[in-house]
Amino acid sequence: MQKRWQIGIAVFVLMLATVFGVGASQLQSDPGYAGIGAAFVPAVVSIFLGIVGALLLWQAVTGGYRNFTDDLIGVATDNWGALWVTGGILLMAALITKIGFVLAATVLFTFVARGFGSKSWLRDAITGAFLVFPVFWLFTLVLDVNLPRLFSGWL
Amino acid sequence: MIDTWNLLLGGFATALQPMNLMWAFIGCALGTAIGVLPGIGPALTVAMLLPVTAKVDPAGALIMLCGVYYGAAYGGSTTSILMNTPGESSSIMTALEGNAMAKNGRAGPALATAAIGSFIAGTIGVILLTLFAPLVADLALKFGPAEFFSLMVLAFVTVSSVLGASMLRGMVSLAMGLAIGLVGMDSIAGIPRYTAGVPELIDGIEFVLVAVGLFAVGEALYSVLYDPKGEDATRNKLTSIMMTKEDWKRSWPAWLRGTAIGFPFGSVPAGGAEIPTFLSYSAERKLSKYPKEFSGEGGKGAIEGVAGPEAANNATAAGALVPLLTLGIPTSATAAILIAAFQNYNIQPGPLLFQTSGPLVWGLIASLYVGNVMLLVLNLPLVGLWARLLTIPKPQLYAGILVFASIGVYGMRQSAFDLVLMYVIGVIGVIMRRFDFPVAPVIVGMILGPMSEKQLRNALSIAQGDWLIFFKQPIAGTFMVATIAVMFVPILLRKRGVRLSEDD
Repeated sequence: MQKRWQIGIAVFVLMLATVFGVGASQLQSDPGYAGIGAAFVPAVVSIFLGIVGALLLWQAVTGGYRNFTDDLIGVATDNWGALWVTGGILLMAALITKIGFVLAATVLFTFVARGFGSKSWLRDAITGAFLVFPVFWLFTLVLDVNLPRLFSGWL
Repeated sequence: MIDTWNLLLGGFATALQPMNLMWAFIGCALGTAIGVLPGIGPALTVAMLLPVTAKVDPAGALIMLCGVYYGAAYGGSTTSILMNTPGESSSIMTALEGNAMAKNGRAGPALATAAIGSFIAGTIGVILLTLFAPLVADLALKFGPAEFFSLMVLAFVTVSSVLGASMLRGMVSLAMGLAIGLVGMDSIAGIPRYTAGVPELIDGIEFVLVAVGLFAVGEALYSVLYDPKGEDATRNKLTSIMMTKEDWKRSWPAWLRGTAIGFPFGSVPAGGAEIPTFLSYSAERKLSKYPKEFSGEGGKGAIEGVAGPEAANNATAAGALVPLLTLGIPTSATAAILIAAFQNYNIQPGPLLFQTSGPLVWGLIASLYVGNVMLLVLNLPLVGLWARLLTIPKPQLYAGILVFASIGVYGMRQSAFDLVLMYVIGVIGVIMRRFDFPVAPVIVGMILGPMSEKQLRNALSIAQGDWLIFFKQPIAGTFMVATIAVMFVPILLRKRGVRLSEDD
């Protein structure tokens, strides 16, 4: 499991290197007086990514990352909690323009609190709303940041 | 020299305006409050507050953000001493000695020596900043693109190789940051790069989005996955903060030594307050007349071991403002975010800053003097109040953090897609944390990458494509040699048994 993850990360870096390398080769650039154009630094970065990705892959297959001790071996992961947090953020993204900032942020607050093991939906929703309301007013009225509303006006 | 003091006096006229005093106060209070919360560092705080300041005038906003930066360094010590959960790695030493003192009923004096030491180191640090910053800026005015480029390369390499346990993983983080920085319009020829035809990407990827995603969402997801209930850290009782005569006598020299160690480390582009706090701690341990009291010897906790590292930590924070203001070079994630704040107002930190935005810079420096006094007042009598923040339950704490993070990200461009992107970056942040990839190089690479590309291309244009320019000119050449030398630092440290982890 550990090893697969470590290899996976290295492969991801190598893929990134490839994508950036291909992109660099397609950039048209005029070298000008400098002798290097807009494609030069992207090419260097992709080569850099390629080198560190390859070294990472080499470390991963020959005994794992160096100077890395996994303190989390045997620690149970709370996937449900993470799902609640994920759901809260994505739901907020989906709903913010439909139900307004105040309600969407309250949903986020309630979901995240649930993810961290809070049992009382209602209490969290109320706490969340009490936190969100003043912040919303501060942003829209004082700081003039435009946040979506449920109705025009104060909510 | 007279000039400097006149300019500083002018700065005080700006800093003491009621509105700016208020911003400084808000910044210090928020910074301390957030610094106290376990697991939340100054980089995240400044990133989350960036969008809040969008409508505030530049002087007020920067004064507030610097208050946050300073305040967070103060606040971290309270948590370390009372709960033994250092919020950032630069308070590890404080936690070690301070918590031992707290366990033996001396929490009060430990908190007091930390706060007073921070005040003294912070103030001396700002005085040194006042004296040196104009000199460095004058010197830097002589720098051309070649010098700047080689200095930036030095900053890249130090931030990614010295911080963190593995140079390779630091370099991976740096490469990712550089890659993200490439997205958008190229600054010299105006050619769009890696935008995949998406018009929003022509402006590049929002910096705050990446910082908030990596720090806030990453931290929340990591915490819920691996540590949902939190460690049952026992809280030590708060005792009277009065220090005895003996405590004062032992603290004084430690404060001064800590400052002397911290400031130079902050002002060179090496990044991180961790090495100076470690050095200060070991110096105090060697010099102390009471070595048996140190917790490493099974003692009750030595006050020098709190006083020195805390002073070093704050002096480093002041020192880091020297390269930030005079060269425009960030040496930590927090400093990189402060640069982004300047850029929001179309102010480019660098040698010209003292000429183009003199009143603003001097107002900012003056406000640091004011902020230090405010922080001392906020920290000594109100320490009981801050300690109460530690009782906020974890579910509501993280829920609140994510609400603030999403307002900041959404408020920038009114784009729900940005919220999804923030989440995706947060997931990457969890994986990075899980496998011990440092986060700071991503942020520094993203900010410094495009800047250094510009300097590189300008330098080569001037030299007609001659790459040896970076070695032929004495200053640039020195930086390049220093860069190569720095790569060996982690190897040397590891040989001496020092294992580093990331700050911020």
